[in-house]
Amino acid sequence: MRLAFWLYEGTALYGISRVTNSMKNVHTVYHAPLGDDYITATYTMLERTPEFPALSISVVRGQDLASGVSRLPNTLEQVEEHYHPEIIVVAPSCSTALLQEDLAQLSRHSGVDPEKIIVHDVNPFRVQEHESAEGLFTKLVEQYALEQRRTENPSVNLLGFTSLGFHLRSDLTSLRRILKTLGVDVNIVAPWGAGLEDLRNLPAAWLNVVPYHEMGRGASDVLGDKFDMPSVEGAPIGVQPTLAWIREIIGKLNAIAQEMGKQAIEMPPLTEFSLDGLSAPSGVPWFARTADMESFSGKRAFVFGDATHTVGMVRFLKDELGMQIIGAGTYLEQHADWIRRELEGYLPEPLMVTDKFQEVSKKIEDEMPELVCGTQMERHSCRKLDVPCMVISTPTHIENHLIGYYPVLGFEGADVLADRVYTSCKLGLEKHLIDFFGDAGLEYEEKGPAAEGSNGRETAIKGEEDIPSGIDGSGEGMPWTDDAETMLRKVPFFVRKKVRKNTENFARENGETTISAEVFKKAKEALGG
Amino acid sequence: MTPVPGPTQIIKEDNVTHSFCGLASVGWLYQKIRDSFFLILGTHTCAHFLQNALGMMIFAKPRFGIALIEEGDLSREDPSLEDMIEEIRRDHHPSVIFLLSSCTPEVMKVDFKGLARSLSTPEMPVLFVPASGLVYNFTQAEDSVLLSMLPFCPEAPAGEKSVVFVGSVNDSIADDLRSEAEELGIKVGGFLPENRFDRLPAIGPDTVLAPIQPYLSRTVARLNRGRGSRVLHSLFPFGPRGTRIFWEDLAAMFDITVDLREREEAAWERISEQVDILKGKRVFLTADTMMELPLARFLKNAGAEIMECSSAYINKKFHARELEALDGVRVIEQPNFHRQLQDIKRENPDLIVTSLMTANPFVGNGFIVKWSMEFTLMPIHSWSGVFTLANLFVSPLQRRSKLPEFDESVWLKGVMPSAEG
Repeated sequence: MRLAFWLYEGTALYGISRVTNSMKNVHTVYHAPLGDDYITATYTMLERTPEFPALSISVVRGQDLASGVSRLPNTLEQVEEHYHPEIIVVAPSCSTALLQEDLAQLSRHSGVDPEKIIVHDVNPFRVQEHESAEGLFTKLVEQYALEQRRTENPSVNLLGFTSLGFHLRSDLTSLRRILKTLGVDVNIVAPWGAGLEDLRNLPAAWLNVVPYHEMGRGASDVLGDKFDMPSVEGAPIGVQPTLAWIREIIGKLNAIAQEMGKQAIEMPPLTEFSLDGLSAPSGVPWFARTADMESFSGKRAFVFGDATHTVGMVRFLKDELGMQIIGAGTYLEQHADWIRRELEGYLPEPLMVTDKFQEVSKKIEDEMPELVCGTQMERHSCRKLDVPCMVISTPTHIENHLIGYYPVLGFEGADVLADRVYTSCKLGLEKHLIDFFGDAGLEYEEKGPAAEGSNGRETAIKGEEDIPSGIDGSGEGMPWTDDAETMLRKVPFFVRKKVRKNTENFARENGETTISAEVFKKAKEALGG
Repeated sequence: MTPVPGPTQIIKEDNVTHSFCGLASVGWLYQKIRDSFFLILGTHTCAHFLQNALGMMIFAKPRFGIALIEEGDLSREDPSLEDMIEEIRRDHHPSVIFLLSSCTPEVMKVDFKGLARSLSTPEMPVLFVPASGLVYNFTQAEDSVLLSMLPFCPEAPAGEKSVVFVGSVNDSIADDLRSEAEELGIKVGGFLPENRFDRLPAIGPDTVLAPIQPYLSRTVARLNRGRGSRVLHSLFPFGPRGTRIFWEDLAAMFDITVDLREREEAAWERISEQVDILKGKRVFLTADTMMELPLARFLKNAGAEIMECSSAYINKKFHARELEALDGVRVIEQPNFHRQLQDIKRENPDLIVTSLMTANPFVGNGFIVKWSMEFTLMPIHSWSGVFTLANLFVSPLQRRSKLPEFDESVWLKGVMPSAEG
């Protein structure tokens, strides 16, 4: 048992609902105590779903447990009566798993056609969000996909797009645009927007495209085994990976075209992939070569997230923007080996694998990188440390569910990522000016600790602007004399925290207990400025 | 549906609904009681709920945490929390740790009372707070928290007549209530809870308990039984009429006769524009925070028509006056959401007061909504809260009339592909 404050991965139940909430006419029934359907709020508030997410709760009350009553059959009947779904997925909760309730048997006691009920009986104490979602999607494809005649035109399925995925809708648009430019049809997107009929029709496509490592590979394997469908795996993050991804799709489609006696697809001029059809498809290659970006070659970046985006981002920063990677990590232990293989030669130190945000935060505090790419929690940690951070992976916050077009996949995704890197980091020439002149009137106000809870109840539901207060309990620094503080204030504001910390470390190592002007000067000399 | 006899007929349904469990109370209570720590013995689900649904992922070092039960812990005897308590003591120096139960340890039959007792020290008590969704919803765990603190409220001697307000509110509401009481000549003994655990009010046989939140029936009943304290049975101090009757009744318990009708009139006058908008509006409350009875009563007083007032739990004694004031209104306890949805689509209310989970979908279906949770986080108490309270209902109605026409076949396209035909 451990003390947890915040966790990266969601629950098994959350994983199940991400799949079912993506799909048409699929209803989830949680056999769970009141409140376990809190997940509904993440859909209605983050994705702002204009229809009710198809999730119902079969309430387990303490008194029912005592009297041996189960409301599951009755809830299934209510769901059938009110919504007529094509598939009902029954999911356990921590409590019902612990009680070892036989959900399949309970479901059979309802008057609902057992054919349409799928019991996804994962152990919520062992399985978490991604594994549970991937398992359910694979199971659905296995159960429903049917032998089909291939479409006349070359077509692909886009597998793994799932409710509350990272920048899901923009990424889908970006890939659809590329495929359209190639003259390739999208047969089915799944699970996002797919219904039972769509699952049946999956084998009509020529090829499965599976951008995410966490989601869709199981389904693609099933379709490969049962229907001999080829697949293209991997996320087109960055310009070169996008080009390679397009070539791989063309290659695999053309092999089938040849078999079918159809015309081969040719790589169109790259301008055709641009928004206006006249320009370069991405600004990144030129941007990275500009003099302005030269200062980026010395910038040290740390990347932390899921498997797909951690791999994609490390490569993009190093290969296409020429930044230094000081380390990377993931909270998805089950995918760590794959990440290690994909990033061989990219990382100067072993991959960090942890689901404790405090460890990631400590790492950032120790390294003080010039850029952190992380999840919502790293952005939060970085805000306190004054370290530039951009969010590149779930878990996300409302700020990553914007209405504009911000893909991270494809050519346009590369542009969005490069812009985010650029605007997150301190700039080139501006940096020299600040370094040279110090504050130069650019002082940011240093925020004192926010008055925690001074407003009683009014603070719960709102943004994340306030209440920073020391990340790991080591926030208490050493005492500084006034003249040392004055000297510190001459250091540019954006490195001040780092200098303060380094000076204190130096002082500790040299047995000092207070930072005087003298100690500060010595530290400055010893540490090189 | 089983009809329950009583002055206002309450229909009881099966509670198939969308709401939060008792752990939600942590969201405001850890901020209210500043020298506290809330330790939840729970699972990944509890942690995920707190960080997502309440937007509480924002605090990297909050004064609440989860003692996380993982698979290996299921087969063990009672959990050992000593190290964790030590960690919390070292990092946070709380005056009190509230140990909250959740569903899994309840099913495991963890002996929480014994556990809390064994972890307590005279300097830092560890108090058991039942909060699991197997029994408690949303705001009800505040009742459990207050109950757990009662042994630490000093005993007020007989003859010391003062009011203790029961319910957590922010400082500005507390100041208002205090000064209002003092102006009426009522001595204020304090608030339960105060901002700090080490400043709990003294309570004794001549204490008058004035509940200011409608979900604290167990706390006042316990104090009434245990210390002989008298309980104010009145309306809750929301809206002009509720506020007048609350203060008049409270004064009467101190043998002070006041007539606040002019004050009530003036309050209605201040919100006359809002009342004009609310008059005749058909409002549906779907059940969420247990604030529903007094909110519906305010709306009814303002001339709105209450199509349904549902609440997760109704206590016929504690809520008697509110139920009386709702005479003629359809009141439902533990409603069935599927039935509500059907009724709403058929009856087409002008405004729906509903949970975070269901608000946007109602809007997507063409309705105007108000988040029910906002009422638990806004200063709507007493005279100074009247304006805010009225505006919370009026604002969504006005906003909608200011926005341009909306063709959902155009502007909802692609927003939720799973719902498209």
